[in-house]
Amino acid sequence: MDPLTSALKVSASGLQAESTRLRIVSENIANARSTGDAPGTDPYRRKTISFAAEVDRASGASLVEVERLGTDDSDFNVEFDPGNPAADEKGMVKLPNVNILIEMADMREANRAYEANLQTIKQARDLISQTIDLLRASQ
Amino acid sequence: MEPIQLFELASRQAQWLSVRQNVVAGNIANANTPHYKARDVQPFESVLQNTGVQMAATHRAHFTESADAAQVTEVSALDDVAVQQSGNTVALEEELMKTGAIKRDYELNAGLVKSFHRMILMTVRK
Repeated sequence: MDPLTSALKVSASGLQAESTRLRIVSENIANARSTGDAPGTDPYRRKTISFAAEVDRASGASLVEVERLGTDDSDFNVEFDPGNPAADEKGMVKLPNVNILIEMADMREANRAYEANLQTIKQARDLISQTIDLLRASQ
Repeated sequence: MEPIQLFELASRQAQWLSVRQNVVAGNIANANTPHYKARDVQPFESVLQNTGVQMAATHRAHFTESADAAQVTEVSALDDVAVQQSGNTVALEEELMKTGAIKRDYELNAGLVKSFHRMILMTVRK
């Protein structure tokens, strides 16, 4: 396969991986206060994502793919809130183990990586169009 | 008449540049992959010097690495500072610098081919 075309493919895989990461981050933020529906039940557990390099057989280029969607096994935050429907008999409510600051940092990082991949796509496209320009009749 | 070497040389450099662009794209895509080691191609000079025999791909599952792609090597990180916590050695800034260099070289290459082509056409016309 033409290396420039496969560069586009590689960058597209990067875009896809980073956007999946962004989706996970937004799921975590959206569910930052999702408690269980009955007293004493577990709330939303923070999701994690990890990437792995995958060799594209056709071109030998290294694509990136989402390797695993996991969950964060750290302890839940516990808060005293007797009025909450999910509060146990002592009035304690388990809240998700989501830290908004961590999610924000993660979001920024995914954003930057997404931008870098977009930049590479633009560049590969420019190189291809320059090559095609060679065929145009010159004035 | 002397054979014109420029077109072959230019097309080989263009091929080398696109292989490099591919490798850089791979590095950027894997900027957040744990344990991924940044890669780069060997300099064009050394690629020019050793052009070897190449194996044929006779099956769809064969790795079809071109002579240029075989020159891809892992870059050793200069010191432990460049290695991230996750074992990743990609520096985004460096990769973006590389894409800039690739773009410049490719523009120069395409411009040269274009003007050379125009010169040849000039001798043919009229």
